[in-house]
Amino acid sequence: MNRKVLLRITSLFFALMICFTVLSRAADQFSVAVVTAARPENRMITHEVRTSGKIVQNQELAVTTQPDQRVSAIYVSLGDRVKKGDLLFEVDLGLLEEQILNQQQEMEKQQLTVDDAKSQKSVSAQQKASQQAQAAENYALSVKSAGVRLERAKEALAEAKKELKKFRRQAGVTQEDSSVEETLIQTCEEKTDAYIKAQQELTTLQWNIENAVNTAMQNASYGASLSQNEPVYTQSSDAVLREAQTGVPEQVTAEETVVLEEPLIIEAPEETANESNTGTSGSGTGQPGGNAGAETDGTFTDDILIDSITEETGDIILEEPEPPVSAEPPVSTEPPVSAETPPSQEELDQIEQSVRSSYEPQLQAALQKVEDARTEKEEALQALAEYQQEQLAAGDTQNAQAEAELTAKVEAAQQEYEDAALAANEAAVTSGRAVQQAGIPDAQNSSDRMSEITYEQMELQLEKLEQLKADGGKVTAPADGLITKINIMTGEKTTDTTALLMADLSKGYRFTAELTKEQEQYIGTGDLVTLKGNGRKQVLEEVPVESVTADEEDENVYHVTAQLPEDSDVFELGESVSLEFGRQSEAYPVCVPLSAIHLDTQNRPYVLVAETYDSVMGTETRARKVSVTVQEQNESYAALGEGAISTDQEVIISSDKAVDDGSRIRLSGADGQ
Amino acid sequence: MTAGKQERKNGGRILKAAVFAGLFLLAAVICFPVVFAVSGAFMQQWELEQYLGPVLGGADGMASWSLLPKAPTLAPLVELLIDSPQFFVMFWNSLKLSVCILIGQTVFGVPAAWGLARFSFPGKKAVLMLYIVLMLMPFQVLMMPEYLVLDRMGLLDTHAAVILPAVFSTFPVFIMYRFFCGIPDAILEAAQIDGAGNFQIFLHIGIPLGAAGIVSSGILGFLESWNMIEQPMTFLKTKSLWPLSLYLPEIGLEEAGIGFAAALMMLIPALLIFLSGQEYLEQGIAAAAVKE
Repeated sequence: MNRKVLLRITSLFFALMICFTVLSRAADQFSVAVVTAARPENRMITHEVRTSGKIVQNQELAVTTQPDQRVSAIYVSLGDRVKKGDLLFEVDLGLLEEQILNQQQEMEKQQLTVDDAKSQKSVSAQQKASQQAQAAENYALSVKSAGVRLERAKEALAEAKKELKKFRRQAGVTQEDSSVEETLIQTCEEKTDAYIKAQQELTTLQWNIENAVNTAMQNASYGASLSQNEPVYTQSSDAVLREAQTGVPEQVTAEETVVLEEPLIIEAPEETANESNTGTSGSGTGQPGGNAGAETDGTFTDDILIDSITEETGDIILEEPEPPVSAEPPVSTEPPVSAETPPSQEELDQIEQSVRSSYEPQLQAALQKVEDARTEKEEALQALAEYQQEQLAAGDTQNAQAEAELTAKVEAAQQEYEDAALAANEAAVTSGRAVQQAGIPDAQNSSDRMSEITYEQMELQLEKLEQLKADGGKVTAPADGLITKINIMTGEKTTDTTALLMADLSKGYRFTAELTKEQEQYIGTGDLVTLKGNGRKQVLEEVPVESVTADEEDENVYHVTAQLPEDSDVFELGESVSLEFGRQSEAYPVCVPLSAIHLDTQNRPYVLVAETYDSVMGTETRARKVSVTVQEQNESYAALGEGAISTDQEVIISSDKAVDDGSRIRLSGADGQ
Repeated sequence: MTAGKQERKNGGRILKAAVFAGLFLLAAVICFPVVFAVSGAFMQQWELEQYLGPVLGGADGMASWSLLPKAPTLAPLVELLIDSPQFFVMFWNSLKLSVCILIGQTVFGVPAAWGLARFSFPGKKAVLMLYIVLMLMPFQVLMMPEYLVLDRMGLLDTHAAVILPAVFSTFPVFIMYRFFCGIPDAILEAAQIDGAGNFQIFLHIGIPLGAAGIVSSGILGFLESWNMIEQPMTFLKTKSLWPLSLYLPEIGLEEAGIGFAAALMMLIPALLIFLSGQEYLEQGIAAAAVKE
């Protein structure tokens, strides 16, 4: 081969190699990331808190006026400073006067309503009183007539007995006969007594029940009205009631009214028992064939007894009933203390029902007792009648017939007397109940007082309107301040809400701003912060933080406030001001700029340190990944846990390309290759 | 007889063809690695992995090869030339070492060979014997003493550590000695008669006449220093001083394509040098073979 050609090829080859050398080096350098690196420092981590906020007033004043006034002029606009007494706005006087007139007329109407309600109330009180009087009168009458009837029955009985006694004295009766008959009669009388007693007990019990029901219902409605706390009404109704009571006819005296409240019983104690005893014994002694020997004793006794009857018959003794000890109603009839409204009819029914049911067993027992006593009495009477029949059959027919007639008369009189006594008792109970019912107070009626209150309110409203009129419809500033909000418009009507809002300048200003959750960690109450205004050199240093509070809605937002010194006039209301505060931590030996910290796929922090190594290309630098722990960090620096990197290692802070573990890098600046 | 001649002629031809075929086969076998290197330089990575995986990547089966790439590409070559500055560092290192060694051998070896060939002095035979012994010694034997000497001289981890021992290598001196010995004494005497001094004779007669020997020893020296691997590996620690011969062992399966491309590039200078000096080399070898 030609040497020249070979030489040319060789030169070309080496020329190409030189070219590619340069080219590859250029390409290589192009791919190498140029980084800046720095050694870790020993420093403190300062947490800078910066936020911007506003100067706001400490206190706001609301300016209000009467609702429904037409605003004729507004003299201030938003942001105006006003002095105390400065005119804020004016309302239309014509409309105001019209309203005053209207109000006066309305008040007049209301006054009439009050009068109506009052008269209505007095009329119903009078009606009530007259009803009570009526009932009392009825009671007195029925008791009286029952008493008269009882008196008559007693007289008839005494008469019948006297005749029988007389007859017997004439006829004479054997002793033995008399003793047997005496025993029978004794039994018969005892049974009758027991019957009457049982009957009376039953009546008493029924009365007690009624009484208890009434008391419970009164307590229920009265207690409710008491809790409504209307002393005026209570007094007046008491007065009316008293008046009505004094106004009742003479028969029912105050004393009687009191007694009427107690159940009325015609007592049939020993006297009555003796009396009936006398009656029956009279009839017993009056039987034919009696021994004369025994007559004196029997007559003597009878006489005394009859005397006692004449003395005592017709006395209707009004005795206080003994309240049955065991009859305490187990159900409380007291109305609930907390009751504020009068009980409804349903509730009343319920109370009545409960009271009644609590007495039910006693009532049943009493009824049973009455029934038993009656049966026993009937049996005793039957036995006596049979015995007398036998006696009659055995004795002298003439005498016996006469005696039998007399005895029957006595028995009939006795029967009538008993009936009268029971009837009197019943009459007393029935009419007494009527009186009591008439005494139940009417439902409360407080419409008059309510109307009065409405009237008073209207009066107050009128005063306000008149005051506004007196001011000429002008509304003035209540204090020095700054208008922050205007809710009214010229020509529109005012509402009952705030017309104007003013910042009260006399109460000072405070600074308020929002913080993030991170910032909140480093600032607290009492920290001295620096406030800087925008633009001019407005700086206020060492302002203490008043409060740092969490936002109610967003948990990542906090509010910081700082009270401005009272004499400070650096900032104006509404001005935008920035807050600066730095909190320094302890010194950390290994601190790197925050940009040096990277996070791997598991979110663990690491740094890249520059590491030189020997390569074909000479000493080269590459990045090496070192896992670290971040102890504390702020916006620009992070303190690393010791041990991971040493202070003479270069930590990559920034690079112009993405750098990874093992990437070749070139340090820029003086440290660069 | 004619037939016998003809037969003999035919037999000779057949024999010739058989020998030729046998030689061709041998040549093909010997050339095979070169073909490997060339074809591998144009293969894509996946193809190389497929062939070499069992050897280099731990894949199953046996390594195989294809003479022609399935999908020829210049990518490895481009990558090597554009994206591998370290290749060029090593390339120039190799060139630097080789050129320095050649220059040194020329400067010191040619006069030494001339002196040994043309002058007679006491102990000449002993010196020659020493040269031969040293020439026969493999590097492994000399490595340790050389290392100690270089260390003492403070030359370790410098290119001088590779260059200096090679400069004073005995092999080129021995080769050139043979050439200079082959220059006829009559020419030298004629020069002396014409009044030429020893230096002039060396410069104007010895070198031109021994040029073939100098060139062939230079070619052999270049090839040796271009390919040398033990010396830089032993004496050079800094990677940036490494010659190209140490680049290829660094390459794994992932960069097999680049490796083949690098091998191809490494082949080219040696080939060019060989081609340039082929004439002299043949002459020199022939001259060395001719016995006076």
